[in-house]
Amino acid sequence: MSYCVNCGVELEASLRECPLCHTPVINPIEAGKEFPPSPYPVDKGQVEVVKRKDLGILLSVVLTATGATCLLLNLLVFDRSLWSLQVIGICICLFVFIFPAVFYSKTPLFISLFADGMAVAVYLYMIAYLTPSTAWFWELGLPIVALVTLGMEIFTLLAKKVPFTILSGALCLFIEIPLFCTALELMIRRMIMSPLRLTWSAVVLTVCVIIDVALVTILVKKRLRNEVRRRLHF
Amino acid sequence: MYRQHVKKQVNKSNLRSKKDVWYKLDLSATVYPTLQRRDFSSVYRLSVKLKEAVDPALLQQALDLTLPRFPTYKVAIRKGLFWRYLEPNNRPGPFVQEDIKNPCMPMHFKSNSRYLIRIYYYDCRISLEAHHCLGDGTGGMCLLQTLTAVYLGLLGHRITPSGFVLRLDEEPDPGELEDSYMRYATAKVKPPRPAEKTYRVRGTKEPFYTLNIINGVLSVKEVMTVAKKYGATITEYLNAVLLYALLQKQQQEFHLTYRPVRIAMPVNLRRFFPSKTLRNFITMVYPSIDPRLGDYSFEEIVTQVHNFMRYYINEKFLRGDITTNAATKHNFLIRVVPLFIKDLVVRTFYTRVQDKNSSAGLTNMGALPVPEDMKPFIDRFDIYMGQPFSSRTNCAIISFEDILTVNFASSIVESDVERHFFRKLVQDGIHVKIESNRSCEMH
Repeated sequence: MSYCVNCGVELEASLRECPLCHTPVINPIEAGKEFPPSPYPVDKGQVEVVKRKDLGILLSVVLTATGATCLLLNLLVFDRSLWSLQVIGICICLFVFIFPAVFYSKTPLFISLFADGMAVAVYLYMIAYLTPSTAWFWELGLPIVALVTLGMEIFTLLAKKVPFTILSGALCLFIEIPLFCTALELMIRRMIMSPLRLTWSAVVLTVCVIIDVALVTILVKKRLRNEVRRRLHF
Repeated sequence: MYRQHVKKQVNKSNLRSKKDVWYKLDLSATVYPTLQRRDFSSVYRLSVKLKEAVDPALLQQALDLTLPRFPTYKVAIRKGLFWRYLEPNNRPGPFVQEDIKNPCMPMHFKSNSRYLIRIYYYDCRISLEAHHCLGDGTGGMCLLQTLTAVYLGLLGHRITPSGFVLRLDEEPDPGELEDSYMRYATAKVKPPRPAEKTYRVRGTKEPFYTLNIINGVLSVKEVMTVAKKYGATITEYLNAVLLYALLQKQQQEFHLTYRPVRIAMPVNLRRFFPSKTLRNFITMVYPSIDPRLGDYSFEEIVTQVHNFMRYYINEKFLRGDITTNAATKHNFLIRVVPLFIKDLVVRTFYTRVQDKNSSAGLTNMGALPVPEDMKPFIDRFDIYMGQPFSSRTNCAIISFEDILTVNFASSIVESDVERHFFRKLVQDGIHVKIESNRSCEMH
């Protein structure tokens, strides 16, 4: 039995110093005796996690180095075309994609998705810049990127705002897919100057409408309605 | 016989859990999930130290038998559009596990099969960690004591349910599952909350997944004798000692202006309002000392705390306090705001105002009622308020028979508050035995 000479408290037998003032335990009577094991476990519950920022720094360095070396290679060695723009574009895209995951996880999802869409659009423009005509970018590439981004934003919005189950998620998806296909077919026809009418997208539309009706029917069942009510309670 | 009858009860409960039941979070519980961070959860721990080493297999069996009796603890938390809610969790688990050095570590909602409780064993100790959104210390203690009773029953001892030990053959009383706040939030006025910046303990933050524990083991009789000498109860006396320790700490540091020292102390509302709920039913009171008014002697601090407690801790004031808190949940405009906006507002309010409103936390569960036939198997109880939201120390007190344990939990390196606290007790002639998990790192 040892007491702290400063604090006057009795110290549990396994303590080698006072946890209050860090005065070492020196008990001449018990000198040479082994300290008993601590009454507390010694293993920590969870290993230290790798800081995501470290991973972010590593990825940023790799992407920057890739872009920079390719640019130098392009300018100094293989200088017949600006092919390095494609690599740099990919690097920018990847950086924008990983930014919310490794640097600032509080970035709102809507902003992240918008930034992702912008990055892809910029990358496509870089490719278009290297091709003889940029018409495909303005008439097809950019609208497709905008549509996909909008679709993902709507999907995220619904997932956040309404109770998201597999069924409601599937319903949302099967509403968005035919709309996207229809818009895509119309854009392609406009680009190749064909009459604006639906062919293959009409098939997709029909199939999806059937699936949507089935999903809605399942959703209106009492048990599932209760599920929705439970999630929307306020 | 006991086991068969317990198993029958488990089957019944499983049937019941298949029904479409769910629970709204109670008034306090709505705040705790909002404060959830990667490195912080509102988790508290209750421990019972038995006189024999714990058998993990039997403990798991006891847990499987006990948990269905506590439907609000066998749940997962989910997000709705406007509020979070609890829904029955029938996933496998929770499973007992060997105890760890860093208790009350963050509890992520999707881990641990979505259970919001953890059961640990270590040598003679059984520990329950629960997320505060499930219930307060009283509810948790009911679960822990019932679990311990079932465990002892499986060992062949006969334990008569009473006090915190519930009968497994009874259906959960609806009163045990209710949000009692809403029933008693009936005052005609809403007294304002105290909102003044207080002294905050400065310290070096420990690395992630570290919780420093310093326990003081005292004699209830000794503490009571000293408290009586000052004309106070044990709670008032220990509150005064903590205020004194915080004042000492503030005086030793460099400050251009002193700030009031205030303790956040949960009050068990079941003492004032008839409620059987196992969920949260506490409110906070804030005894404080303002050193800007002059130098306080320890006797004056005790008198101040004593008068504060007498004035504020009564049914009328507490009802007013509950009404103030419940007003937000009654307000239609607040209710229809989407959850993510509520989260943002509550988190900002808590960080900017509520967290700065107190210098430390102190809770006293008091003398625990334990069934007479269970007492011989129990050595003592411990309680930890868990990881503090900001860099400070939390103090929790519990007593069983003649053993009173004062458990400090902090996530900072310095132990100045604890030192001042225990030295004051020693100065008052109380024998203090110190235990700590800090020692392991020094070896």
